Amino acid sequence: MQTTLDADTTPAPAHIANHPTHWRNRPFAAHFRTRDDDFDASKFGMWLFLTTEVLLFAGIFCAYAVFRMMYPEAWSNGSHHLNWIIGAINTVILLISSWTAASAVRCAQLNKQKWLKINLVITIICALLFVGIKFWFEYRVKLTVGKAPGTFFSYAFAENPYEVLWWSLYYMGTGLHALHVVIGASLLGWVLYRSWKYQAYGPTEYLMVENSALYWHIVDLIWIFLFPLLYLIH
Amino acid sequence: MTNHDTTTHEEHAHGHPVVSWQVQLGVLLVLLFFTFTTVLFYNAESWVESAFEIHLPWWVNVVGAMSIATVKALLVCMFFMGLRYDKALNSFALLFCLFCVGLFLGITMIDLDTRDRVYEWKKDSVAVGGTGSGLDTPSIDARFDSSPAPSFNTAGLSIVDFRRQQGLEDAGSELAFWTAHYHHHAEHQHAADVNNFFAQLGYDHHVDLPDANHAVPRTGLTAGLFSAVDPSEAHNSHAAEDAAHQPAENNAGH
Repeated sequence: MQTTLDADTTPAPAHIANHPTHWRNRPFAAHFRTRDDDFDASKFGMWLFLTTEVLLFAGIFCAYAVFRMMYPEAWSNGSHHLNWIIGAINTVILLISSWTAASAVRCAQLNKQKWLKINLVITIICALLFVGIKFWFEYRVKLTVGKAPGTFFSYAFAENPYEVLWWSLYYMGTGLHALHVVIGASLLGWVLYRSWKYQAYGPTEYLMVENSALYWHIVDLIWIFLFPLLYLIH
Repeated sequence: MTNHDTTTHEEHAHGHPVVSWQVQLGVLLVLLFFTFTTVLFYNAESWVESAFEIHLPWWVNVVGAMSIATVKALLVCMFFMGLRYDKALNSFALLFCLFCVGLFLGITMIDLDTRDRVYEWKKDSVAVGGTGSGLDTPSIDARFDSSPAPSFNTAGLSIVDFRRQQGLEDAGSELAFWTAHYHHHAEHQHAADVNNFFAQLGYDHHVDLPDANHAVPRTGLTAGLFSAVDPSEAHNSHAAEDAAHQPAENNAGH
């Protein structure tokens, strides 16, 4: 699959190549013995942060599990208000974006600057698609008929008195997840900007790409669990 | 994917393993396949329940969905996030986190299940709202009432029943209320439709047809054999005027 974009053999123009932010010119933190130590420590730090993100959503999953056990009928009714096709489309979009994010890391490792930017752009487009579909086809439709969380709930045709719990958890889970999608897309947008402006990432300096991609994968992981739990109940 | 193993580490960016594009694309395809599988499992479950008229136990759905989700998560973690090629410390961090999540969920469940060990009356005492104060609880001190959410007196009703009552008042009559609902959601009789407007409005199309296991003798002419219009449609059109306050939901939901 050799294309003209594959091998990035053109050297960067002088004003970029000589800029201190260019990946060849950036030093690693002085308190580390080697560049690899800097990379490994920072990546481990990112993993520790990701574990806190997992625990954040674990709280919501715990509430979900408790209330699903206690009020299975309300959960079944609530799930029937959701369209699994839209959820599946969003799942596919996020999986593809996860692939392009991992691909972007690989491109940075191999100094494929153009493909790095292309992959980042596709990932961000997928993020915008995800949030757009969620807000336009799901939230807008539901909120206008009153299927809202907590005391905002005003849908007159709910069939189970505990259905408001379902809606609260639905909005809490998917809303917090959508917020993380936006945060992840912003991080990747920052990476894209610096890549475009300074060629800031390359084989010896791609930590920011790696960490942003890791955050993005956690966002995808959360959705992999949210989708069947919310959309595919009986 | 086995013939791509030799290209897994095609280059080393200063000691860091580079995952080949074949592996990444392969993992994506497998993930998409498992997404298809989980949707298929859900639809198959629905089909099995309706075709064989059995009720599957609740855990079938959860176990099926969660096992497929776990496989997908493993693939994302190992290949996209690079744990397969990484230092073991990163994997340990994630596994320890999952252990903590297990503790969190497990101990919560144990707590819920054993509340009657000390006080019998505390078992099953989680009420909607959960904090001991409902929408009608009188305020202890106005300085604590800073919730931004709307609060109102539901006269002891659950919020769902309260909103239904409000909807009934806004629609004017029960007929108008249920017409508005069944116009877009005629799948089954609503749980609160105690006066059976579902049948009154003619949405009750279920006809007992004979099948291999039971015969239903039918006499008389086929309904509508000599009519020019569908008699059930003609019946519905008289009750179809939408006088309800609630805006109708479009087809994006069920």
